[in-house]
Amino acid sequence: MDLQLALIFLQQGIASGLVSGSVYALLALAIVIIFKTSEVPNFAQGEVFMAAGYIALYLFVFQQMPIWVVLPATLVAAFLAMALFRRIVLDQVAKSAKDLVYLVIATLGLSYVLKGLVRRTGFGDTPRSFPALVPTDSVMIGQASVTVLDLTILGTALAVMAAFFWMFNYTKIGRAMRAVGMNPKAAQLVGVDLGRCHMLIWGLSGVISAIAALLISPKILMTADMGSIVMLAFAAAIVGGFSSLPGAVVGGFVIGIVENLVGLFISSRAIVLAPFLAILLVLVIRPQGLFGGKLTIKKV
Amino acid sequence: MKAKTIGASLSVVAGLLMSMAAGAQEPGITEKSIKIGIFGPLSGPNMAYGFDVVNAAKMYYDKINKEGGIHGRKIEYVVEDDRCNANDLVAAVKKLVEQEQVFMLNGGSCSAAVVAAKDYVVRNKVPYLMLNASGDGALYPPTDYIFGAFSISQYAVGGAMVEFAAKSLNAKTIGYINHDDAYGAWNLEGSQADAATNGVKLAVESVSPSINDVTAPFLKLRAANPDVLLIVTYARPAALLVKKAAELGYNKPIILSVTGTASLSQLVENVGKPALKNFYIQEVMVDSPGGEKLKPIYDMYKAAYPDLAAKPDHPQTYMPYGIPSAMSLVKALQDAGPNPTREKVLEALKKQDFDSGVMAGRMKFGPEERAANKSTIFIKYDGTTMTPQPGVFTSRWTYKAK
Repeated sequence: MDLQLALIFLQQGIASGLVSGSVYALLALAIVIIFKTSEVPNFAQGEVFMAAGYIALYLFVFQQMPIWVVLPATLVAAFLAMALFRRIVLDQVAKSAKDLVYLVIATLGLSYVLKGLVRRTGFGDTPRSFPALVPTDSVMIGQASVTVLDLTILGTALAVMAAFFWMFNYTKIGRAMRAVGMNPKAAQLVGVDLGRCHMLIWGLSGVISAIAALLISPKILMTADMGSIVMLAFAAAIVGGFSSLPGAVVGGFVIGIVENLVGLFISSRAIVLAPFLAILLVLVIRPQGLFGGKLTIKKV
Repeated sequence: MKAKTIGASLSVVAGLLMSMAAGAQEPGITEKSIKIGIFGPLSGPNMAYGFDVVNAAKMYYDKINKEGGIHGRKIEYVVEDDRCNANDLVAAVKKLVEQEQVFMLNGGSCSAAVVAAKDYVVRNKVPYLMLNASGDGALYPPTDYIFGAFSISQYAVGGAMVEFAAKSLNAKTIGYINHDDAYGAWNLEGSQADAATNGVKLAVESVSPSINDVTAPFLKLRAANPDVLLIVTYARPAALLVKKAAELGYNKPIILSVTGTASLSQLVENVGKPALKNFYIQEVMVDSPGGEKLKPIYDMYKAAYPDLAAKPDHPQTYMPYGIPSAMSLVKALQDAGPNPTREKVLEALKKQDFDSGVMAGRMKFGPEERAANKSTIFIKYDGTTMTPQPGVFTSRWTYKAK
C-alpha cells in the first residue's frame, strides 16, 4: 500500500468511524445511565432502538404522517415504553426477587418481546430504509468523502450528548439522578423520589435510543435484527469505563474508528472482531476502562 | 409332481408376500396417493426467499393432480415452516419423515440452513430434492439421496458472473465481494475457476452478513481499480454496498448476484434510482421475472392464488424457482414406474436431464452431479426497466473428488 492510499484510508476511516461511532456512543450513553443508577446492564437497549425505528417508519412511510408529528411521537413512545417497563415490570421483579440477575433477565425478556412484536407486524421481514431527512450528497473533508447526512448524524449526536451532560450537571433533576447513582438510600433521605427518578432515567435512555435509531436508520437498512448493533455499544461502554458517561462517548468513537481502520488496513473479515480486540486491549492495559474510576474490591 | 406343484405354489406365495412386504415398507405410498413433505421459510426475515417458491411448487403439484396424478396416484403434500433457520429446518424435516411418514422431501430455500439436514436425510435414506436453496455443502461430495440447485448452485453463481463480466463487459480486473461464510466460500471457489480460465484478476473482499458499515471493504475494492464490481451477498449487505458505491461516486458496472435480489422494488426504495445507473442483475430464469417466456407460470399463479396476486410485490421475485424442483420430483416418480420405491426414484433422479422451460439451463444430474442448473442470464436494470442482455452464461466449475 503506497503512502498516498494509506493517507486516504486513514482520513476516510476516521471520518466514517466518527459517524458510526457517534451512534454507538449514543447507545452506550443510554446503557451507562441505566447501569450507573440501577446497576442493571439493559440487554433490551438494542431492541428499544430497533422498535423506535420501526415506529417512526410506520408513522412516516406507511401512515404518511408529517415528520414534525413523527419525531416527537417516536420519542414520546420510546420514553413511555421504557419508563413504564421500569415502573411496572422491573419494580415488580425487584420486589419479588432481590437478586439483580432477575432484573437482567427481565431486560432480556423485553428484548425478545420487542423483536417478536416487530416480526408479528410483518414490517421486519424485509430490509427497509428510513427515508433520509437531509440530503445524501457527498462532501469532501480533506481526502475523505462523507455525506450531508453523515455530518447531520455526527452533529445531532454531539448536540444530544451535550444536552444530556448539561442536564446531568446543571439541572436539579440531573443532580438527583447522579445522587441516585452514587447512593440511592442517601438520595432518598434528602427527598429524592427514587421510583420517579428511575422511571425518568429509563425513559431518557429510551429517548436516546430512539434518536440513535432515527439518525442511523437511513444508512444501515432496518431489519428486526438491527438491534444487534447494541453489542458495539456495550463494547464502547466497556472501553470507556462502564460507569463513566464521557467514557461511553469516547468509547463509541473509539469503536467506530477502530472498526473502520481495521477493515481498511488489516482485513474486511476482521471488522466484526475489531470491537472485541479493542475491549481486550483496554481490559489488559486499564481494566476499569479508559475513563473508569479506581478499581475497588467489594467484600461479599 | 405333486411336491413340485406345492413347491412352485409356495414360491409364488412367498414372492407375493415379499413384494407386499417391500411395498408396505415404503412410507407415504398408498394405492391412491404419494405423500411428500414440503418445507420453506413461510415467516421470518427470509420469507421472501421461499414463501412464494413453496406456493409455486404446490400449484404445480395441484396441476399434476388435476391431470390425473402419477400412475393413478395423487400427490398429497404436507407443508412445514423452516424460517430459513437450521434448527427449525431440521425439526421440520424430522417431523415430516417421522410423524407425517412422507415418501420424499422437497424443500429449503436458504443455502446454509439446508446443509444442516444432510446427515439426517442420508442416515434415513429419504430422497430429498431441494426447493430453491443452492445448499452446495449438502450436494457435494455427492450422496445417493440429496439433489438440488434447481435454481442454481453457489459454485455456478460466482462462476457465471465472472463469465459475464469477462465476456460481455470485457473486465480484466474484477472487484468481488462475498460473505465470509461457507456460502461465500462456495461462490468464490466457482468464481476462481472461471477467473483462471478467462485470465481475469479477482480482487476479493469478504464481509460478515450482518455488517452495518461497508465503507472499508468498498474503499479497498475501489483501490484495486476494478473494471466491474460483483456483489455476491444477501439482499441487505448488497443494498448497503450499492448505496455506498453511489455515495462515493463509483460509476463502473455493478453486477448483483441472484441471491441479493429478493425484492427489486424494495432495493430501488432502499438505494434510490440514481444508484442504478450502470447496474446489472443476475437471473437464473430463462427470462426476466414476469417476462413473456414465463407468462404461463405467472398466469398459473394468478389462478391459484388470486388473493395473493392482488397484493403488491406478489408473486415475489423467486416464485417460479419452485416449478423446476417440483417438475423434477414428478418426473422421477413417473420414471420410477407404477410401483415406486425410494431406491427406484433415486435411480431415476441420477439419470434426469430435461428442460424446465423456466430456468436458464437444463435440469441435469449424473453419477457425480447433484446440482441441476449452472446457467444464468443477466439483466440491465435501471430501477424501472429490465433489459435482458444477450447470451446464457454457464459456470465451468465441476465437482472433483479430493
